[in-house]
Amino acid sequence: MKEIMAIVRMKKTGATKKALIAAGVAGFTAVKVLGRGNLVTDPGAIEECKEKLLSMGLDEFTEAGDTEKLVTSFLDGSRFFPRRLFTILAHDDDVPRIIGAITSANRTEYGIGDGTIFVMPVADAVRVRTGEAGEAAIW
Amino acid sequence: MLLIRAIVRPEKKDEVLAGLSSAGFNAATMVDVVGRGKQKGIKIGGMVYDEIPKTLILMVIPEDAKDKVIQMILSIAKTGNEGTFGDGKIFVSPVDEVYTISKGTPGL
Repeated sequence: MKEIMAIVRMKKTGATKKALIAAGVAGFTAVKVLGRGNLVTDPGAIEECKEKLLSMGLDEFTEAGDTEKLVTSFLDGSRFFPRRLFTILAHDDDVPRIIGAITSANRTEYGIGDGTIFVMPVADAVRVRTGEAGEAAIW
Repeated sequence: MLLIRAIVRPEKKDEVLAGLSSAGFNAATMVDVVGRGKQKGIKIGGMVYDEIPKTLILMVIPEDAKDKVIQMILSIAKTGNEGTFGDGKIFVSPVDEVYTISKGTPGL
């Protein structure tokens, strides 16, 4: 029995839910969270991202300095971004399949910020409706 | 790998996260939660408040960093020299596997 905690982009909630059903897992719990990841050490990736964001943020109403300040604060690693935290209980054998499904649904071309999956052991689980415990309580 | 679940006062969260970030532990997730502790909430006059707002910080760290991270959270999240009821708790649980989605490989 394992608990899978997956942190994904807000936009990818629907895709993750679909991928989980395709993988044969219907039950999950999701929470809105704020998160940040490891610092990006590759300056090339940051530079590329910065240019893209700057081109998106510039219009006739905003000043270039303000946009640059905002974009820099987005990329320096200290800001928290909204993410969705999925908690899924699974049998040991199903874990690789679920991880594969979540990974393929959530990968983007950006290369950073796609989220993380943690797999943790679970001591016991009980279904409230029937009172059955252990592996039978998962699904 | 270990999962650190730290429940801290909401007004202390920025300080805790800034301290951890400067020590090299930048990655964290936080959720606003409500809860009560051993003291059964706070009693003010005749009212008992048993849903006290706190912030839950989730972090996954390598095992050798455990003491450093815990000491850091303990020292920053404590109020006053002796500490006060309601400063929070830290739970540590094992993590079997970690995958970074953007890389598609195991590891933090």
